[in-house]
Amino acid sequence: MSLGTQHDGHGGDVRGDVGAVVAVADRVRGAIETVIEGKPEVLRIALTVMLAEGHLLIEDVPGVGKTMMAKALGRAVDCSVQRVQFTPDLLPSDITGVSVYHQDRNEFEFNPGPVFANIVLGDEINRASPKTQSALLECMEERQVSVDGQTRTLERPFMVVATQNPADMEGTYALPEAQRDRFMARVSVGYPSPQAELDMIDAHSSRSPLEQLAPVTNAAEIRSLVDRIHNVHMAPGMRRYVVDLVNSTRTAPELKLGASPRATLHLVRAARAHAALEGRHYVVPDDVQALAVPVLAHRLLPGPEAQMERLSAEQIVAKLVARLPVPGPR
Amino acid sequence: MRALMPLAALVSMLAALPLLNGLIRGGDWWIPAAVLVIAVAAVSALYRLSGRNSFPVPFLQLIVAALLFTPILTPGTGFLGVVPTPDTFHQMWALFQQGVHSINTSAPPVPSSNGLRMIIALTFLVFAMTADFLAVTARCPGMVGGLLLALVLVPLAVDSTGLAWAQAGICAAGFLVLLATDMWVRGREWGVRVPDGHDPAGRFTARAVQLGTVAAAAATAIALALSLPLLVPSLRTDAFYTMADGSQFGSSGNVTTTHPLVSLRRDLASSSDRTVLTYRSDAEDPEYLRTFVLDEFDGENWTMSPVYTGRDSNLDGPLPLPPGRDEEPDASVTTRVSLDSDAPRMEFLPLPYPARSVEVSGDWYVDSDTLMVFTTDTPPTGFNFVVESADNRPDARTLAEAGPPRSLSDNYLVLPGGIDDGVQELTDSVTANADTAYERAIALQDFFTGGDFTYDLSPPAIPGDADPLTYFLTEDRIGYCEQFAGAMAIMARQADIPARVAVGYTAGQQVGDGRWSVSVGDAHAWPELYFEGSGWVRFEPTPSSAQGQGSASAPDYTSGSEAAPESLPDPEPTARDTPEPTETAEDEPSASPEESESPEGGPTDAAGGSTTGSDGSDRMPWLPAVGALLAGLLLLAGPALARALVRWSRGAAQASGGVVGAHTAWRELRDTCLDLGVEWSLTESPRATAARLGALGRDGTVLPSEAHAAVWRLALAEETARYAPAPAEGGTAAAGGTADSAANGDRLAADLATARKGLTATATGGDRWRAILLPRSLAPWRRPRVAAEAVPAVS
Repeated sequence: MSLGTQHDGHGGDVRGDVGAVVAVADRVRGAIETVIEGKPEVLRIALTVMLAEGHLLIEDVPGVGKTMMAKALGRAVDCSVQRVQFTPDLLPSDITGVSVYHQDRNEFEFNPGPVFANIVLGDEINRASPKTQSALLECMEERQVSVDGQTRTLERPFMVVATQNPADMEGTYALPEAQRDRFMARVSVGYPSPQAELDMIDAHSSRSPLEQLAPVTNAAEIRSLVDRIHNVHMAPGMRRYVVDLVNSTRTAPELKLGASPRATLHLVRAARAHAALEGRHYVVPDDVQALAVPVLAHRLLPGPEAQMERLSAEQIVAKLVARLPVPGPR
Repeated sequence: MRALMPLAALVSMLAALPLLNGLIRGGDWWIPAAVLVIAVAAVSALYRLSGRNSFPVPFLQLIVAALLFTPILTPGTGFLGVVPTPDTFHQMWALFQQGVHSINTSAPPVPSSNGLRMIIALTFLVFAMTADFLAVTARCPGMVGGLLLALVLVPLAVDSTGLAWAQAGICAAGFLVLLATDMWVRGREWGVRVPDGHDPAGRFTARAVQLGTVAAAAATAIALALSLPLLVPSLRTDAFYTMADGSQFGSSGNVTTTHPLVSLRRDLASSSDRTVLTYRSDAEDPEYLRTFVLDEFDGENWTMSPVYTGRDSNLDGPLPLPPGRDEEPDASVTTRVSLDSDAPRMEFLPLPYPARSVEVSGDWYVDSDTLMVFTTDTPPTGFNFVVESADNRPDARTLAEAGPPRSLSDNYLVLPGGIDDGVQELTDSVTANADTAYERAIALQDFFTGGDFTYDLSPPAIPGDADPLTYFLTEDRIGYCEQFAGAMAIMARQADIPARVAVGYTAGQQVGDGRWSVSVGDAHAWPELYFEGSGWVRFEPTPSSAQGQGSASAPDYTSGSEAAPESLPDPEPTARDTPEPTETAEDEPSASPEESESPEGGPTDAAGGSTTGSDGSDRMPWLPAVGALLAGLLLLAGPALARALVRWSRGAAQASGGVVGAHTAWRELRDTCLDLGVEWSLTESPRATAARLGALGRDGTVLPSEAHAAVWRLALAEETARYAPAPAEGGTAAAGGTADSAANGDRLAADLATARKGLTATATGGDRWRAILLPRSLAPWRRPRVAAEAVPAVS
């Protein structure tokens, strides 16, 4: 089924604070959809990650709108947005910023890098050297920057939206597993449907829709929404369900590397955000099921047998989800 | 290596030879078989050493076997001593027939003969060649087990003593050697299977799992092997003589003899005075000739418990000591019996009790409890035998002083339930004044012979609802020896005297000096009572003389006059002393002229019973049919009723609303789906299930929209019940839910009804009927289950 909000008509229980989340999300969604049409799934994951205070990895072939998606998200929220184009010669200081000596004042002044923003677009992150990649990834995890022995905290909300081309494209450094693990979710945009592509021609021929995109919310509102996410109820059975699911990736014979405990935390947070986006104040298995592939798949390494059977990590996760019984009364 | 498998097959065949050990008398029967088996294996092993195609092996084996066969089994017939000639085959055929004959005519152990040796050797030759082919050429050594099983069946089927542990063990060990050799050879050829896992612990677990699996499979097989035969009634019994029914005697197909009581009735009823046998005895007053002993009363008839044949029951040498006797009694009476050639075949010999030795040709067996002598062959007619027997007439004082039975099975006191209480009361009143077992026995015999009873070979029919025993003892008191003997034996058992019924012939009529003639009319039944120290002693409750069984005679010791006259309840003991076996048997037919028209007049009780039974069925023939129909309908409606009961039992929980109500309603929806054959998965969340049910239609039909909406509401209620915070934690919506939980429950019930209707409407006709008649949700194995590998790690 489509996990939209249509069920609300059947009596879904929307509480006040969750209602605000839905309202804001609908606004953002509407704004972005003027730029990119026909990708509600990707958009929903992106919003979920934003509300769960995670980072998003968009992986796909060039030209399908990865950057456009990230930019639109940044524009829809009225907050500081920085964009870094990763290249092989990019240095860590190009991201974190450098201290520059001011002769007239006789002191070092810190010039903040592009990481000091609410939304950071890391374009083609896999084109940078591993050294630079890890500088960004450290900021993502710590939410702070240490330069010259001084630690500077990054402002909330802080979200890195990185795009990358598939690893087998030319001139790329694949992200190591440890760094992929820091992204809450990975999505791929995919080609638009013929109808969406047709609409796209019309929309992009005359003007740039991105320019006309007006912000529909701001950083402070997003911050308050993020705080409400923590109040979303997660039943004990649902917690067990998440642990069982993550655990099944560790015992699955098809997988060489299972998901980390960090993945468990990410999945729980994302599920809460997802529930709130759906207008529920409690998490249901459908939330976890909808998020299992984007949240888990990029952290897993299929074993040789799965590779031989051409089973992708996504397919394996879907299989594990389909095997696990949902929590219920016994 | 190449020669190993033929040798292993040889070992398994040689290990099977002892299986036949118990069946054949004489020590050298196995030599030809062993020589041939070894030769065949040697040929196979030597040839396979060459490594060539194994196609010629059986032919080479046949040639070698033929060359060996001639000098060993048919010496002197071969060309140059070894090459078979037509003579060889002629002699083989003769030997074969001889062997078959000796197998067919003698019971195991069969004396070893050339024919038998040849048959065994041939059998083992064929088996060894087959085993060699299976184990070596075809590489399926497990199949050899089938051959061995066939050999194991031989002693099991033929010998009632069955299989000794040692024989079975040796055979099994040989088979195991074959299997182990095969595994070893395979391991050498292909390498051993590498166990899973690299660490020793993992290997250990894998090993343990393997062992556990093997142990479980073996335990299951053993448990089945032990329990299944108990459940299959026809697989019991190695008895040769069992009571199949009233008229058939012997169920295992070996001997079919009419029931002694039936043939007794027939004999007594026949109007002819055919001579059955004549005998010459050196006793002045010969004992009765006893044929059968009936030692079990089944509530209606006296029957014989199975008797067994076996090596230890062979009739060679003296017979076993009669029960109750401590020392060998003097075999003082010699009786030479010659059976009339017109008389019916006798599988059981008529013998005076207690017989001490019997000289008779053929295979005869003796039952040690009863000293019955019988055969499993079809006996010839008109043969002679000599029997030496002891004098079994203890004096009354010995009997009176006999203690309680010590060395006797309690079975002789057992009576089935269901005997009329009146019989016990009668026994008590008859034996009221008697102190010892002997006095009670005398009192019982006097009760029958005291004049109250009438001897009649065609007693009047017994009313259908009356118990034949009670009717005979209390009402009409008319009967013949069968009734008298049976009733007295029952009453004796009630009076704590071990008793049984003997069937045979009276001493008959003296036709010359020491020569006696027994005719059909002398057929008789009498009770035997047991007294410690004297053993089984004959009593005679049947009236003798012209008004009774003509040639019957009460033994002297039953007069009681010598023992304790003052304690005897009967005032005129001498009255019964008078009947002497002087009456001829010719009175008998004249006493029953009218009953010869209906030869089956004896078992009138059975006939009466059957007529009343048919009356009952005539009156209401439709009653059983209607009953069966109703029962069938009830049976048919059973599952539907059970399902309705389950649904009804959920009603209360549903109506309460809230969490329990939602769960219950959801479970009922699940069962409805299961009934209709709609898939239900435990890995689907409620809303996913609802979404799937919405697109249920198989041939384009979809769930009606109102039903779909109802399913959605049920799913959301279930979802809230499962995953939302408990109402106690607060929340406006939940508070509203608790306020009118009854209305909530009503809504659940209404939604459930709508959903059920919609689902049923969408299902095909067959599924709908099935859901009503055979609801799948009642079957636990139809419930949705979780795949084994997906069992949650956290519980």
